[in-house]
Amino acid sequence: MNSELSEEIKELVLLRLETMPSDRKISIGSYGEFTKEELIERVKKGDEVGKKLIAIEMEFLQAMKEGVLV
Amino acid sequence: MSKNILITRPEHDPTTLYLSTWNGKNLSQLQEYGLTIFDLHREKANRKEVESRLKKSPCRFVFLNGHGDYDKVTGHNNEVLIQAGDNEDILHAKIVYAISCRSAAKLGPQSIQAGAESYIGYAEDFIFVYEPYQLSRSTQDETAKLFLEHSTLFVNALAKGNTVGESFLRAKNNLKENFVRLLAEPNRSDSQILRFLWWDHKHFVSHGNGEAKL
Repeated sequence: MNSELSEEIKELVLLRLETMPSDRKISIGSYGEFTKEELIERVKKGDEVGKKLIAIEMEFLQAMKEGVLV
Repeated sequence: MSKNILITRPEHDPTTLYLSTWNGKNLSQLQEYGLTIFDLHREKANRKEVESRLKKSPCRFVFLNGHGDYDKVTGHNNEVLIQAGDNEDILHAKIVYAISCRSAAKLGPQSIQAGAESYIGYAEDFIFVYEPYQLSRSTQDETAKLFLEHSTLFVNALAKGNTVGESFLRAKNNLKENFVRLLAEPNRSDSQILRFLWWDHKHFVSHGNGEAKL
């Protein structure tokens, strides 16, 4: 993935996370449980959890493009 | 082999608490189906107890709740219960369902090679969204239900005499139905969770004999 696309996906993930209700948490297996604010920080930092969220978004977009979601 | 079920339910953080309570609330139902349950709850969800119980009382079905990785499933306080290349042979002739991260990628296939009959689990991180203010009554959490009810469906379908393949399909369809239901409500404030439901659906896999039954 080129860096421009990577940045665009990152921005998209951040936008999506912003819309998440603040009263929810996400359990990401052994990484732990996160609020939306914590996830936003992780994506900005680009650590393992942030990269995981970007990978999920990439695969989700790819699946939508291919029409394999439903 | 007897219709015994071994279930591990560590409970040392919010993730394991949710898995434990959601899958623990169904135990009385399973007993009504005539199954004998060995429930390794909290501190009892350790390697010594698992190995000892599987040797003493042959269990057809092993239901593992907890954290994991590609090559292992863990118990209370993340003690390794089963590790590929170490003790996966204790799963010989068993139907195994692991609701834990990633273990179906490597431990699953290696367990089948070591003689397990079926291994159902998640090939990547199992993700779920929950309402933290519901922690003390997690089974009433409608957000978590979207991610966790498929697990109950799988176990109940198997307990009622369906094959692994039929039960797996029923559970996988439940994740899909929840996804489609959310998709049809684009104005929901929590539509972000769609991608996580889709992720779990995609990585929920079954290895081994799909015709196996309890």
